[in-house]
Amino acid sequence: MYEIIEHTADVGIRVRAASVNELFTEAARALFSLLIGEPETVRQTQTMSFHLVADDLESLLHDWLAELLYIFHVRRLVLHRFDVQVDDNRLAATVSGEPLAMDRHHVEVEVKAVTWHGLKVLHEGKQWVAEVVLDI
Amino acid sequence: MSKEGYTGPLEKIDECCWRIPKSYKPGMRVDGLIFADERLLQQVRADQAPEQVANVAFLPGIQSASLAMPDIHWGYGFCIGGVSATDPAEGGVISPGGVGYDINCGVRLMRTNLTLADVQPRLTQLIETLYRHIPAGVGTGGEYLFGGKEMQRLLAEGVRYLAERGWATPADIEHTEAHGSLPDARPDYVSRRALERGGDQCGTLGSGNHFLEVQVVDEVFDEAAARTMGLEKDLICIMIHSGSRGLGYQVCEDAINNLRKAPEKYGIRLPDRQLVCAPVESPEGQEYLGAMRAAANFAWANRQLLMWQTREVCAEFFGRTWEELQMNLVYDVAHNIAKMEEHEVEGRHRLLCVHRKGATRAFPPGHPDLSPRYQKIGQPVIIPGDMGRASWVLVGAEGSMKKTFGTTCHGAGRVMSRTAAIQHARGRRIDQELAQQGIIARCRNWKGLAEEQPAAYKDVSVVVDVVERAGLARKVARLRPLGVVKG
Repeated sequence: MYEIIEHTADVGIRVRAASVNELFTEAARALFSLLIGEPETVRQTQTMSFHLVADDLESLLHDWLAELLYIFHVRRLVLHRFDVQVDDNRLAATVSGEPLAMDRHHVEVEVKAVTWHGLKVLHEGKQWVAEVVLDI
Repeated sequence: MSKEGYTGPLEKIDECCWRIPKSYKPGMRVDGLIFADERLLQQVRADQAPEQVANVAFLPGIQSASLAMPDIHWGYGFCIGGVSATDPAEGGVISPGGVGYDINCGVRLMRTNLTLADVQPRLTQLIETLYRHIPAGVGTGGEYLFGGKEMQRLLAEGVRYLAERGWATPADIEHTEAHGSLPDARPDYVSRRALERGGDQCGTLGSGNHFLEVQVVDEVFDEAAARTMGLEKDLICIMIHSGSRGLGYQVCEDAINNLRKAPEKYGIRLPDRQLVCAPVESPEGQEYLGAMRAAANFAWANRQLLMWQTREVCAEFFGRTWEELQMNLVYDVAHNIAKMEEHEVEGRHRLLCVHRKGATRAFPPGHPDLSPRYQKIGQPVIIPGDMGRASWVLVGAEGSMKKTFGTTCHGAGRVMSRTAAIQHARGRRIDQELAQQGIIARCRNWKGLAEEQPAAYKDVSVVVDVVERAGLARKVARLRPLGVVKG
């Protein structure tokens, strides 16, 4: 579950999930929900797999979203399915989607970057919560 | 993160300046100073921007105060409208967050010899023609492609390289901050990812708050200065707001990644990870500065190519060459940048690293860095407002060197979040509302217009009024929007 939170110049996202894997998946969905309209219509014609390693969970979440943003901007892939395995500040992901097509996808905003400002990953009781500010 | 307001101290120094004392937070090395008046103060307190001014005061080597201009608003790490100068000789740091992701985002103003009467009857057609021909939108590539060696030269030399290619004149160079080319740029520090992401975007507008606007000089406040700039009442101008596109965003991203361990290495305590920094003189600091200068040169080249395309479109549209239309660059300013500049602090001249994030250089008359044309009047400062009200042309004033390291505001400053602006626009057609005011707006998506609606911004005229009263800049002319093209 994710929500968009108020931020004067930029956009914040707050994600809640029962597990770390789900937290990372939901954060990715939140990112693509900002980038394009109707992300649920995205087809899955291409798949990519990659690994990331970071010093802590917050850095890993940052790097994960930054990598997805890079794939969107440079590989020009719109992603919709995210299989993420997070284990001890390491991440293995398989993501799928389709090439960005201006006639099918409506690009809503330009997300310039995933910032470190107020970046949080917390384990609250049975729930995982993350907050990220995106520069748009 | 919290949208809650700032409840910390703001002590009145005078009508236009408020202090956050360094006793507010342990770790602040200097006070915070916010330039605002009573009218703006409520908006200043409405979010966490003053807290960010206090956080920047933690930076090693920071001089005088952590400053914010009247268009201050909540950013990430540094506030927008923030200015900080650090002294490398005292361990002063460079922070990529103090420049922002859109390195050398900035504004330029081009004048023409067309009058309102010439353009008004064909305004819609002109805006639609510009909208069709000026590349804009998220991730859009342009017509100007630079191969490996060409790109290296573009990044190293900025607008000077474009002049060699026939896309810039000596006068264009003369009227661009830093002549459109920061020395000591290091294209070799610009990553492959940065080139992949933005290498094909030189000469494209982008999206978000970037725009191309056709404006008319609505009122002149300083006849002599306006004449020097080629401005007079009822003349048509074109304003362009864009930055370093995907290339610059990635340079900042790479730098912040590279600097992750720098605070620990150099023993720097920071209240926010986005403020990550390294001493200016360190290898990490120099690497970022080299890459940032290359991205800044790319941004100046971007705005130059946007202007060049605008000249070509207008020449075709009006059936006269751009030289006949006297489409001359008034000035181009950067408002997200870090530069080495000489300033006087406590009676001593020092070479400082001045970070301006959402703030504009505003050198006063007689400053040695100004071109001969502007020596007497001071540096032109271009302040975009919102698309429904006004933009301004100012000149730098003496107070800027004494109070703000030669700096003034950069725009109106947001007052409404993007989500709130979209909510506020539900059920409305912003383009039609603007059309009723006689302003033609063309944008690739309605959300873009909704986010940028006039109500989302402070009144730029109030912001400009404060910087004039504070002695940072003087009013020269007010420009009224006629038509706007957005990504």
